[in-house]
Amino acid sequence: MRTSVALALLTGAASLAAAATPDEFGYCTVCHGTNGNGNVAIRAPKLAGLPAWYVRAQLDSFRAGWRGVAAADAPGREMQPVAAALANDAVTARAVAYVATFEPRAPASSIAGDTARGSVLYAPCAACHGSAGSGDEAVGAPALTGQNDWYLVAQLHNYRDGLRGTHPGDARGAAMRPFAAALDDAAIVDVVAYVNAMTLPPVMRSDH
Amino acid sequence: MFRVGAALGWVPAFAAAERPTLKPVAGKRTVVVLGAGISGLVATYELSRAGYRCSVLEASHRAGGRNLTLRRGDKVDELGHGQVCPFDDDPDLYLNAGPARIPSVHERLLEYCRELNVELSPFVNDNHSAWVQDDAMFDGKPLRNREYVTDARGFMAELLAKGIQSHRIDAQLDALDVERLLGFLRAYGDLDDQYLYRGSSRAGYRNAAMIEAPQLKGVLDIRELLKSSFWRSDMHFAEGQDQAPMMMEPVGGMDKVVAALMAKVGKSVQLNAQVESVMVRDGAVDVVYRARGERKRVSADYCLNCIPMHILNGIDNNFPADYSGAFTAIGRGKLFKLGLQSRERFWEREQIYGGISWTAQDITQIWYPAHGIHRRKGVLLAAYTFDPAAGERFADLAPAERIERAISQGEKVHPNYRQFIECGVSVAWHQMNHMLGCAAEWTEPLYQRWFARLQAPVGNHYLIGDQVSRHPGWQEGAIHSALHAITDIDRREQATRAGAVA
Repeated sequence: MRTSVALALLTGAASLAAAATPDEFGYCTVCHGTNGNGNVAIRAPKLAGLPAWYVRAQLDSFRAGWRGVAAADAPGREMQPVAAALANDAVTARAVAYVATFEPRAPASSIAGDTARGSVLYAPCAACHGSAGSGDEAVGAPALTGQNDWYLVAQLHNYRDGLRGTHPGDARGAAMRPFAAALDDAAIVDVVAYVNAMTLPPVMRSDH
Repeated sequence: MFRVGAALGWVPAFAAAERPTLKPVAGKRTVVVLGAGISGLVATYELSRAGYRCSVLEASHRAGGRNLTLRRGDKVDELGHGQVCPFDDDPDLYLNAGPARIPSVHERLLEYCRELNVELSPFVNDNHSAWVQDDAMFDGKPLRNREYVTDARGFMAELLAKGIQSHRIDAQLDALDVERLLGFLRAYGDLDDQYLYRGSSRAGYRNAAMIEAPQLKGVLDIRELLKSSFWRSDMHFAEGQDQAPMMMEPVGGMDKVVAALMAKVGKSVQLNAQVESVMVRDGAVDVVYRARGERKRVSADYCLNCIPMHILNGIDNNFPADYSGAFTAIGRGKLFKLGLQSRERFWEREQIYGGISWTAQDITQIWYPAHGIHRRKGVLLAAYTFDPAAGERFADLAPAERIERAISQGEKVHPNYRQFIECGVSVAWHQMNHMLGCAAEWTEPLYQRWFARLQAPVGNHYLIGDQVSRHPGWQEGAIHSALHAITDIDRREQATRAGAVA
């Protein structure tokens, strides 16, 4: 009797579009959230919307131990063994293809900075990341718009403080470090506030 | 008489969630339960018996939540550090990787154990024969718990007696009070008739003292004892209401509790069903989940949700900000446990049967099994960290490196440790799939700010689990949270029906 009751409720479950999630990557969204839109509670960044080349480069960076090994980078250290457990390049390629299926959402703003000052500070960033923050694969610069602002702040701190971009193999990360080194804590918030302003529809801006 | 006693404070007046007698609903109401941990299973057990049609969605490959017992062949689903438990196939060789002890005061859990025939046996926390080790005292040489405790108490009693005798302590005592207090101190510290501490048999003898005259151990230097961090909390660990004798454990592993509940409600539980969305609407809750490559939506009159709130934060939802704000405000625990299988129960030849040795190293404690005494092999809990930094240091390591670190630290407690260890398994709770944390890290200000709101429903959605209790990290807290929620559902159902009749 209890069997039929339970099944009745579950069979009442409406099937939606087939889930794109392969069983082998079911764990990705446990940390990175539904559709990979990020989870600030555990400092897991948004993956949805990231270009495949960048996802691949970062997975390789984690796998190689270039990233996610610094003692002070607790979230990175949680990711590093997960990437390292990707069995080989083919599995990694499937993970990248899976991330590409995520549907990105506009992130909520969580910081308040001086966007006018941020726009000035952003000038050197534009050379690689583009004047609209949309990134440039040719120079290995990811898009900044659409990303969680708390994550951008954290990564600027990581670059500046030597938690990222210091491994000899990580040439792209090394290229980023001097730009982050020029920013103090307030400047980091301001420049990310400016990225938010480029990202968010006016109603969600926090530059009031 | 009892009531008078309660009024006078002689017996505690419990403000506990009572186990409700739910009014039957004859299958007309539906409940979707998110998570097959203790709270979800208990709620399902109670609601099903009252005729609610329950469906449990569990993301993991197993039920039980953090109630996890590892035996031979069990999968440890830790992200990046997956393991298979290598212990011998034997009813006494297991690790309770989550909850491992049940205090006498956890009445609801004990009531379910009684009702569901979960056999219990004594569990030992406090063992005066176990070791205390701290590099800061006696050059790191371990000493018996009873030596430390006896000599520390002896010193304190003597000091206080001297102060009272020389009237240096103004305690507002008359002559009779002083006489009694000195007697108390003499008994407490085992002082001599001059109120001096000259050692005590409580610390153990130097010799066997069976067919030869007893020889007391020398009194330890109090300045050395004070150098150790042992007195900060570990020395008093088993004084806590939840840690004091008599403690219990289920025979054969803590997950016997899960098995007993699953025997009642398992047919309502779907494993490998990961929730993607929880949307509350008027009079119902819609849940989208993924199972076996399909995405499905289920709607129910009520939703009981024990998904850890730090994970729930990443799942699509329409909770109000004054509710979901808690998901990021309250931290997640980072406890770590590691079990080692020993080919001999060498500790029993050191007069240690059950209980805990404490060390100031990262492993923090070594637990000796109180079950399987005098059998050949045993499983030690060879590391159980409380400090999140120590938990992270272990979590960073690959499983084999964790075992090596646990052995090398354990060698300071048991110099002959390594030769006995055959294999091990470990769990870093903040990296466990579908958990990503141990107990929610509440503080009193956080309780004041968030608890009442989290305990109250959003529409027909209730957050439950030990995370919504004043006992995070305890199954009893999870049960009380579940009982609180279903009592509220019952109240609302009865109010609705009363309204319909009127």
